[in-house]
Amino acid sequence: MAENWLDTNTFHHSEFSSIDRLVKAKKKKEVVISLCLPTLNEEKTIAKEIVIMKSELMDRHPLLDEIIVIDSGSSDKTREVATHYGAQVHLSSDILPDLESFKGKGENLWKALYVSKGDIIVYLDTDIKNIHHRFAYGLLGPLLLDEKIRFSKAFYDRPLSDETKGIRPTGGGRVTELVIRPLFSLFFPDLTQIIQPLSGEYAGYRDLFEALAFPIGYSIETSMIIDIYKNWGLEVMAQVDLDRRVHRNQTTRSLGKMAFALMQRFLTRISDYNMIQLKDELNDRMIQFENRAQEYQQDISKFDMQERPPIITIPQYRERFTTAPKKDGKSGRKT
Amino acid sequence: MKVNLESMPRMVSGIKKVRDTIITNIVLIGEKSAPTFKEKGRAVLFQERLAEFQIDECTTDSYQNPIGIIRGSDRNKPPIFVVAHLDTHEPYQEFFDFTVRKNTISGPGVADNSTGVGVLISLPVILKQLKLKFRSDIVLAGVIQSIGKGNLRGVRHLIKTWNGPIRGAICVEGVELGRLNHYSEGMVRAEIDCLSSSIPGRDKRNNSNAILIMNELINKILEMRLPQRPYSKIVLGKINGGYHHGRDAFDASLGLEIKSDADDLVKELINEIEDITENLKRLYEVDLKLKVISNLNATRLKFNHPLVKYANSVMKTLNLEPKSESSESELSIFLSNSIPAVTLGVTRLKTLNPEPCVEIDPIFKGIAQIIGVLQAIDNGVCDGRKLA
Repeated sequence: MAENWLDTNTFHHSEFSSIDRLVKAKKKKEVVISLCLPTLNEEKTIAKEIVIMKSELMDRHPLLDEIIVIDSGSSDKTREVATHYGAQVHLSSDILPDLESFKGKGENLWKALYVSKGDIIVYLDTDIKNIHHRFAYGLLGPLLLDEKIRFSKAFYDRPLSDETKGIRPTGGGRVTELVIRPLFSLFFPDLTQIIQPLSGEYAGYRDLFEALAFPIGYSIETSMIIDIYKNWGLEVMAQVDLDRRVHRNQTTRSLGKMAFALMQRFLTRISDYNMIQLKDELNDRMIQFENRAQEYQQDISKFDMQERPPIITIPQYRERFTTAPKKDGKSGRKT
Repeated sequence: MKVNLESMPRMVSGIKKVRDTIITNIVLIGEKSAPTFKEKGRAVLFQERLAEFQIDECTTDSYQNPIGIIRGSDRNKPPIFVVAHLDTHEPYQEFFDFTVRKNTISGPGVADNSTGVGVLISLPVILKQLKLKFRSDIVLAGVIQSIGKGNLRGVRHLIKTWNGPIRGAICVEGVELGRLNHYSEGMVRAEIDCLSSSIPGRDKRNNSNAILIMNELINKILEMRLPQRPYSKIVLGKINGGYHHGRDAFDASLGLEIKSDADDLVKELINEIEDITENLKRLYEVDLKLKVISNLNATRLKFNHPLVKYANSVMKTLNLEPKSESSESELSIFLSNSIPAVTLGVTRLKTLNPEPCVEIDPIFKGIAQIIGVLQAIDNGVCDGRKLA
C-alpha cells in the first residue's frame, strides 16, 4: 500500500483560502475553469449554489470562468431559476442529440465535458444545504498549486439533515463503510485511504476526464476512482477536507439500491481489469421486499449497466476540442 | 448640504450589479446561528467577511461587538454609525438552511435580522461599486445582545465606550421597507413567574393552581386605569403554564410590556404591577416574582428634524411611502445619548409561515435609501442640531 499518500495528498480547504493565490496560479498556468452542476429537480438548492459561487469565485475573484448546469429534465423550476441567476443551462437530452439519450448523473457529467470550455472541470452536487465557495476553491487548490495532482476529491463530516429534528451529527456514509471500503480493502487497498470515495464533489483536468468511461447512474464516483488509479496511479489524486456537508438523509431502502448499483459496477470493473473472472453475466435487478397489508411483496428495481465511452472517442467532441498541442505538449482546445 | 436625490434611481441599478454578493452575505450570515448571548460565530463571520472585502479597519470593541471602519477623507469629522443587531430569536442550531428562489430568500431569522446584517456587511462592496467616498468615517457595527433579555447591552456598551462624538447613526432592520423610525417610547419589559410548590414546608395538597393565580394577576392588571394622555399601554405578550391536563399547574409565567410617551408613567405602572404581584404572593403564599428584563427611556427625534426630513425625501424619491412608528431598539440608545439616528428597513416580508421569507427585488431600493441618508448625514444634515 502507498503508505505516504494519506499524509502527502490530503489537504484541508483552509490551506487554499487565499483565493488570490489560486487566481495567480490559474493565470500562470493559463487554464480555463468550469464549474459543472448536474441537476434533477433542485429548484430549492440550485439558486443558492450558483449565487454563492458566482459572487465569490467569479465576481469578486476571477477563479471560475463559467458555471454550467446540466439538467436531466426537471419538472420543477430548476432550469428557470438557474438561468435567472446567470448559469449556462443545458437540458441533457439537447446535448449531442444524435446519440441515444440517458438519464442519470453520470450522463450529465459526461455531457458537461462537451458543453464546457474549461481545462479544469469542477463537479459539485446540487443538494448541498450548507453550500459554501470552499467546496470549489478547496478542490481547485491542489490542482492549481501542485504540479503532479490531476484529480481532487472532497471528504467531510456528513451530518444528516432531519426536517423535524434539525441536524444529527453522525450516521452519514453508510454505503461507504458497509460496501465500498470492504471492497476496496479486498481489491484495491491503496484506495481505502480515500476517506469519502462516494463524495459527489470532485475536480480534475479535462485530459483526464475525457479519457474516462462514465457510467450513467450512481456508480460514476466508484468507477472514476478505480479507472484513474489503474491508468494514472494514486499519486495524481488528492483529497480535500471540506469540513461539513449537510445533505438529505436517505432511507436504508434507497441506500440498498445504491449499494446494489455500486457492487454491480465494481464487479464488472474488476472483471474488465482481469482481477476476477465472472462466469455469467450479473443479474441487473435488485430485489427488495415490502410488507404491504400484512403481506410481503417483491419490489424489483432494474439497473442498467449503461456506460458512456471516453468522450475523446466521440467524433463530435474531437471536432469541438482540437488536439493541436500547446506549448507544454498537452492537448489544446479549439473552443 | 443637499443630497443629490436625482441620482437615487441610478444608484438602485448600480447596487443591483452586486446582487449576488448581497444575497451571499445574507445567506452566509443567516445560516450561522446567533441567539442572544451566543452570537460569537456570527460575529466572527461578520469580521471575516469585512476583512475579505478589504475594509480599512476591522476589529471588535471590548464587549465583542464586531466593527468595521471605512475611513473618510476628513479626520475632523466625527464618524457616522451604521448598525444592525446580530442576534436572532431563533434558538441555537448548528446550521440554518436558507433557501434562495427567483425573488425570495427564506430561512429562520431572515427578516430579523439576517437581511439587515447581510446588507450592512455588503456596504463596503456596494460603496466601491458606486464609487462613493465620504468625509466622515463610516463605522459598520454588528451589535450583540440586543433583543429580549439582551436589553440592548451591545449597543449601549458600544456608544458608552466610543471615544469621541458621533455625527449620526442609521439602524438597519431587515423589514419592513418604508419604515422610518425616529422616536422610541418609554418601555419596560417584565416577566412574572409563579411557582406554587416551592415554598419550603408548605403542604403540597393545599397548593394553589399557578394558572389561576396568574389569571387573577391578569384581571388585576386589566383593572388598572391608564391615562389617555400621555399615551400609555400595557401589552400582555406571552404566557406559559402547567404540565398536564389532569393536574393543578405548579408553575406559570407571564411576559408583559409597558409603553408610554412618559418615562415617569412607565415607572408608575410597573410599580403598581409590582404591588399587585406582592399582594397576590402574600395572599396565596406562593413564589410570585416580577423581574424587569429590559427598559428604555422615551426619546425622540422630532418629525421636522432635518435628518427625518431628508430621510423622508430620499424615500419618496424612491417611491417609498415613509411610515413612522415607535421603535424600541438600538435607535433609542443613540437618541438617549443625543445622537441623531433613524431606523430603516431593507425589504418586504413576504410570508412568515412555514418560515420567514423576504423579497429580493426591494432590497436594492432599501440599500439606496440607506446610502442616501448616509450621504445626508455626511453632508452635515445633523451637524449642530438639537434632537428635539
